[in-house]
Amino acid sequence: VLVAEVATPPLEPRDFRVLEGLRLMPRKSFGGRVRGERLTKKKGISIEFADYREYTDGDDLRHLDWNVLARLGVPVTKTYRDEEDLAVHVLIDTSPSMSFGEPSKLDCAKKYACALGFLGLAGGDAVYPRALGVRERPLPSLRGRSTFPRLSHWAEKLESPEENGTTLSASLRQFAGASARAGLVVIASDGLDPEITTALRIVAGRGHEIMFLQILSQVELDPDLEGDLRLIDGEGGSPAEITANGAVLREYVERLESHNAALRDTVMRVGGRYALVRPDDPFEKFLSHSLKRQRWIG
Amino acid sequence: MIFQNAAQLLWLLPLLGIIVILYLLKMKRRELRVPATFLWPARTEEIRANSLFQRLRFSWLMILQLLALTLIIFALARPQTVQKGLAGKVTVLVLDASASMGATDIKPNRFEEAKHMAEATVASAQTGDRIAIVEAGPVPRVLCALSNDPDRLRRSLDQLELYDSESDVGGAMRLAASLVGSEQSARIVLLSDGVFEPIANFAPGRASVLYQTVGKSDRNLAIDALGTSDSPKGRQLFCDVRNFGGEAMTGTITVFADGKAIDSNSLAVEAHGHWGKTIAAPSDAKVFEAKLECKDDLLPADNRAVALTSPGASLHVLLVTHGDLFLERALALDPRVTLDRTDSVPADGAPTYDVVVFDGIQQVPVKSRSVLTFGAAGSSSPVTLVGPTTGPVFRSSEKDALMNGVDLQPVYIGNGEQVKAKPTSVVLAESSAGPTVVESLADQRQIYVSFEPMKSDFPLQVGFPIFIANALDFLGGEGDSSRLAVKPGNPFSVASSLPVTLVTPTDGTFQIQPTGPSVIVRQVRRAGDYKLTVNGQDRTIYAMLRSDMESDIAPKATLSLGSVAVQSTKAPARFGDFWRPALLLSLLVLSFEWWLFAKRS
Repeated sequence: VLVAEVATPPLEPRDFRVLEGLRLMPRKSFGGRVRGERLTKKKGISIEFADYREYTDGDDLRHLDWNVLARLGVPVTKTYRDEEDLAVHVLIDTSPSMSFGEPSKLDCAKKYACALGFLGLAGGDAVYPRALGVRERPLPSLRGRSTFPRLSHWAEKLESPEENGTTLSASLRQFAGASARAGLVVIASDGLDPEITTALRIVAGRGHEIMFLQILSQVELDPDLEGDLRLIDGEGGSPAEITANGAVLREYVERLESHNAALRDTVMRVGGRYALVRPDDPFEKFLSHSLKRQRWIG
Repeated sequence: MIFQNAAQLLWLLPLLGIIVILYLLKMKRRELRVPATFLWPARTEEIRANSLFQRLRFSWLMILQLLALTLIIFALARPQTVQKGLAGKVTVLVLDASASMGATDIKPNRFEEAKHMAEATVASAQTGDRIAIVEAGPVPRVLCALSNDPDRLRRSLDQLELYDSESDVGGAMRLAASLVGSEQSARIVLLSDGVFEPIANFAPGRASVLYQTVGKSDRNLAIDALGTSDSPKGRQLFCDVRNFGGEAMTGTITVFADGKAIDSNSLAVEAHGHWGKTIAAPSDAKVFEAKLECKDDLLPADNRAVALTSPGASLHVLLVTHGDLFLERALALDPRVTLDRTDSVPADGAPTYDVVVFDGIQQVPVKSRSVLTFGAAGSSSPVTLVGPTTGPVFRSSEKDALMNGVDLQPVYIGNGEQVKAKPTSVVLAESSAGPTVVESLADQRQIYVSFEPMKSDFPLQVGFPIFIANALDFLGGEGDSSRLAVKPGNPFSVASSLPVTLVTPTDGTFQIQPTGPSVIVRQVRRAGDYKLTVNGQDRTIYAMLRSDMESDIAPKATLSLGSVAVQSTKAPARFGDFWRPALLLSLLVLSFEWWLFAKRS
C-alpha cells in the first residue's frame, strides 16, 4: 500500500491575515527591470517629484512647469523619481542540518521565507525563490499575488537531502556568482557553517541587501546530552567523540554564541538585518515583535 | 627502605598493565546525529571501555588509578623504614643507678640523662612495642614488666632512684634476660656509664644487647681513705685523696673533729695520683669528718668521709671461705661491716681487719682483733680438736647475749667437729658430740662453731642472721651504738621490735615497721647523715660512698658481658612499618579519583 505523503502548505490561511497590509522594507533602493511600486534613484515617471531642469526639445510638455514659464519666461521641466520593481531573492537553506528540531528548522524556514516572499509579491516585487544546499534549477521570477501558490508549492516540495550536496557557504557563493539582480536577499537558514560569514560578505559585495533569519532549535541552543558520545555531523563533516559533561556543554554553548555573534556582526556590518528565531516561536508574535520592530517589514 | 614481603611487588606490573590495557581498549560510544560538529569541543574522557584497542591517551583518572594500585601493592609488600631509636618490638631498659651515674659531666647528671633517654625511648615506641624497665641498683628490681602502656612506663621511670653505692648491673642484666630471653627479636638496652664490675655468667638468650654510654668525662677527686690509729704519739688521723681523672686537679680538704675544723689543706693531685696526710687528732673526739672541695669535681658523693673512733662502729671483716653465700649475706646485712672475701689468710696475718671469719678453712693465728671460726679448729682456736663427727644432735645452750634469739634445737648438722673447750673459753651450746658454740675473751675475742653452715641447715633457720649479728656485736667489742657508719644502698638491720623512724637528708622521714625482732632499714641510698630513732634513742647514721670503682667515673666504651664484649652504640636502628600510611594514602587517592570521576561524568 502506498501512502502518499501529503505536504502541508507553509502558510496557513490565518497567517495571511497577519501579513495583509505589510510590505518588505529594504534600506537600499535597487534598480528594477519593469515598472513597479518601488522608487528608484533613476528619474522617471511617477507622482514622486524629484527636481527641475531646463527644457530641451523632445521633452514631454505635460511636465513643463507653466507657472515658472509664465512668471520668469524660462521653460523648466519637472522631473520625477521612477518607480520600479524590487528583486527579492528568497533563499531557503535545505542542508541536512535543517531537518533537526520539532517542528523542523526547514519547516520553519519555509514558513518565514514564504511569508516574506508573499510580502514581496504583494508589493509588486519580483521574487526569486532559490534553495540552498541542493543543486536544482532555480524558479523563474514571480510577480504579483497570483504567483504565490507557485512559491508555496515550490517551498512545500523542498526537503533536506540525506547527505549534504553543497554546503551552505558554497551555495551562497554560487548564488553570489550567478549574476543575479541586486536586491533584497532573504536567507532562512540555521547558519551552521563555519564559512558562513565569508560567504555573506561575498553576497553583500554583489550589491545585495541581506535579511538573515537564523533558525535554531532549542536542542541546539541548550543541548541536553549525557555520557560518552560519538557525534555524527549532519552536514557530513568529521565525527566528534565527546564526553558530554558540564564543562563540554558549557564550551559548546560558548562556541555557538560566539559563532552566532560573528554571523550577526557580519550581517549588520554589510548593512543587512539579522534575527534569531526558534521553530517553536509563535509566528504572529515573532512577526510583530521582532521583524516589524526591526523594520524588516512595515 | 626494605620490604618485608617483597614478593607482593611482583603483582605490580601485571595489575598496572591490566589498567593500561583497559584504557587502551577503545570505547564504544553512543552515536548521535547532530546538525554540526564543528561547534563541539574535541574533548573526551575515557571512563568506560569495552572493545577494540586504541592509542593510549593521557587521562588523569588512569594516572590516579595507577597511583592508587601502586600504593596498595606497596602497602601489601610491607615496606619498612630504618628508624633511629632505642626501642624495639620488645625492649628491656636497664638503667644503671650506681653512684658514678651521679656524675655531673652531663647536666644535671648522668642518671637524669639516662632517665631522659628512657623517656624518649618510651615516647618513640610504636603501637604494639613492649617495654620493661629494670633499675640496676644495689639490688636489681623490675619497675615495670613488659608493657605497651606509655603512662605506666612513665610512672615507672619516675620511681627510678639513684644510689650512692655500687650497683649489681650483672644481676639487673640477668633479670632483663630472664624477662625477654625467650622473645624473638628482643632487645636489652643498658643505659650506663659502664662503671661496674665485669659481668660474668650472663647470657642474653635470643635477645640482643645494646649498650648506650652515658657520660663523657673522668674528672673526679675523691677521699680515698680516712682512718684513725693510736700510736705512742697519740691518736693519728690519716687522710688520702685520690685523683681518678686523667688530668691534674686541685682542691681544698678540711678535716673536722666532732664538728670542729682541725686542719685544712689546699692540694694539687696529679692525674691518677694520690695526696695523703697524717695529722694528730684529738684523742677524745668521736667523729672525724673530711670534706673535699674541688671546682671541677664531677662526683660530689665521694667528697666526704667520716671516721668513727668507737671500735665497734665499723667492722672490717675478712671472710676466709671456699664460698658461702648465706654467710656473706648475713655478714653484709650488718651496717658496720665492710666485707672482704678470700680463700686464704694473708701472710701478714690481716692486721687491718677487725674480724677474720674462717668458714671451713682451718683457723690459723691472725693479727685481727677477733676471730669467728666455723667447723675448722686450729691451734689458736678456743677449743682442742678431737676428731670429725657426723649428725650430732643439739642438746642445750646457755643464756648468753650471743645466743639471744637463736634456737639450735631444729638445726640439722650433717658433719662437724668433735672438740674439747680450752680452759679459757666458755661453752655456750652443746650437742651430742660435745661443745658446739664456744667463745673466748683470752688474747682475742673468738667464737668457735663446731660445724660449717653449709654442712647444716642452719642458714635456712631464722636464727642464723641473728646469730651472726650477735657474733659481730661480741667480736666488735663494746662500741658506741649511737653512731653508725654504713654504705648507702645496702639494707641493714637494727635490733628493735618497735617501729623506728628514719630522717633522711633528701627523701623525708620514714616510719619503718619491724620484722620479727629486728628492723631492716633499706631507705639509706644516698650519701649523707641520717637520723634513726630506735626505742626513743637517736642514732646518727653516716652513709658514705667509699668505692674506688665508683669513684673512677671514666665512661667505658666497651663492656664485658659474659663472654661477649659489647660496644657502645650511639644510634641503634630498627625497622618501622610503613604500610599503614601507604594504605591511607591509597584511599585518599581513590577518593580523589572518584571525586574527579563524578565531577567529569
